[in-house]
Amino acid sequence: MNRLERRFPALMMARRNLSRSKMRSALAALGIVIGVVAIASLGLFGSALQVSATQSLGDIGSDLVVSPAFSEGVQSLDDRDVRQIRRAARDAGVVPIKQSQGVVSYGEERTVTTIYGIENPGTAWVASDGRVPDQLRSGALVGSSVADRLDLTTGNTVTVGGQSYRVVGVIESQGGFSPVNPNSAVVVPPSAVDVDGYTQVLVTASSGAAANQTATEIRDSLNRREQRVTVFELSSITDQIGSLFDVINTFLLAIGSISLVVAGVSILNVMLMSTVERREEIGVLRAVGFQKRQVLRILLAEAVALGAAGGLIGILLSTGAGALIYWQTLGDPLGVFTLQNIGYLALAYGFALVTSTLSGLYPAWKAANRPPVEALRS
Amino acid sequence: MPVLETVDLVKEYDTGGEVLQALKGVDFSIEAGEFVSIIGPSGSGKSTLLNMLGLLDEPTRGVVRLDGEDVTTLTDRERTSARKRTIGFVFQQFYLLPTLTAQENVAIPRLFDTDPQTNVDAANLLRRVGLGDRLDHRPNELSGGQKQRVAIARSLINSPRIVLADEPTGNLDRKTGRKILEEFTRICNEGVAVVAVTHDEQVTDYVDRVVEIVDGELAR
Repeated sequence: MNRLERRFPALMMARRNLSRSKMRSALAALGIVIGVVAIASLGLFGSALQVSATQSLGDIGSDLVVSPAFSEGVQSLDDRDVRQIRRAARDAGVVPIKQSQGVVSYGEERTVTTIYGIENPGTAWVASDGRVPDQLRSGALVGSSVADRLDLTTGNTVTVGGQSYRVVGVIESQGGFSPVNPNSAVVVPPSAVDVDGYTQVLVTASSGAAANQTATEIRDSLNRREQRVTVFELSSITDQIGSLFDVINTFLLAIGSISLVVAGVSILNVMLMSTVERREEIGVLRAVGFQKRQVLRILLAEAVALGAAGGLIGILLSTGAGALIYWQTLGDPLGVFTLQNIGYLALAYGFALVTSTLSGLYPAWKAANRPPVEALRS
Repeated sequence: MPVLETVDLVKEYDTGGEVLQALKGVDFSIEAGEFVSIIGPSGSGKSTLLNMLGLLDEPTRGVVRLDGEDVTTLTDRERTSARKRTIGFVFQQFYLLPTLTAQENVAIPRLFDTDPQTNVDAANLLRRVGLGDRLDHRPNELSGGQKQRVAIARSLINSPRIVLADEPTGNLDRKTGRKILEEFTRICNEGVAVVAVTHDEQVTDYVDRVVEIVDGELAR
């Protein structure tokens, strides 16, 4: 007998009784293992999905797109608007954009793309080949998709809208869903795009929170008298995606919980069976002076021991599975140890303990309250 | 003063509308150190009487006095404590816990007392019944007679005032049965009262007094 069992004799009795039919105990605990793995690994899976999705969305959460308020009849933004935006945006990067459509050709290949007239593309993007200058005075930048399609590299000469440009750089491929996406576009100096005013202004802040504040200030300053612009915050998309993942996670957890409830029923069944089989033994314990609550304690300890042991194995298995998922999706197995994930593991373990306690309660109560004389009737 | 006595004890069972009287006013008493056997045909009510004496069941009417105290009005919890304190049980089927060693089986009534002395007492009791070399054996490694001696040791762990035995020799051969009965005689010599419910004729050779019960009444 170890020290713990000397201190809590019910544990010793519980362990001996569970070891009597090892197979049955193992199967009952297996149910809990599966339940815990279901809850914990679905939780971990959901959060891995969320982390990987957020990573591929990149930092668009800190981007804003300011467009003319079309609903109020504003067709384009003028230099005054841009000055006001720059003032409101402070140190955030401001990139006014003129947008049109046009034919781009290189040798025999030709394609119709979006054409952006941008003076300072270096504020928003970086190059994967060549360079993206801070001031684009001559030459053109091509998006990664266009470069692929036309097989372009830096130094080639392309024709955009009938005019020839030398390719200065290829813009690095951008993820996410920004309405201003250079991947399948060609960027030329704004003077080359025959559009009145600016079609939109891209504002890149340092963080999501800064973007939020900048958006408020732009609205305050430009829309004070009349609705002049609409500000599209990309963080609103990431927020929506975040809440979508919360829903998915809750749903996965709910499915996992069902399997743990099933495991609870199997413990209930095993405990009921074993108390019926041990009816006479329990009767003897009552006869030699065990109080009802002491019998209850022994039987409850058996059920909780099944839950605790099964839960522990389940936690170990799902931590392993979680590390594997994180390694596969994010390349970092230790990324699994986040506060949220430890929360999922704790939740699963707690649920295992609660389930096994609840399932043990009825059989234990029933056995403890059976009159000893009835239990001993042979 | 008798250790245990009953006055006009009645036990009725309700069997589907019909009331069955198992005990019809039994007056019984036993003094300290006395060895009494209760005999009678099956269904005569002797097991019912033993359950009443062991505070395992409540009488319909009448009084059970343990050391002069009326125990019929006690709560389940108080009855259980009284049982633990003053009564030892020995059963025909031994009822040892298969997962525990002989020594642990003897100590089981005091499991929740977490008293380190219990194990020493249990070992001493096993030595007294001649099982000093079987302390760590499980019940399935013991013979019937050895099991019953473990059960007797268990009944003595709390130094009871009375030991109640239900057919203690019923599952044993005659020779082994005699050894068990000798054990009971020794217990009686130490001032413990023993009541044995039995069919076994040879018990009569050992007891101080035989009480016969027929149809729920003591035969005079």
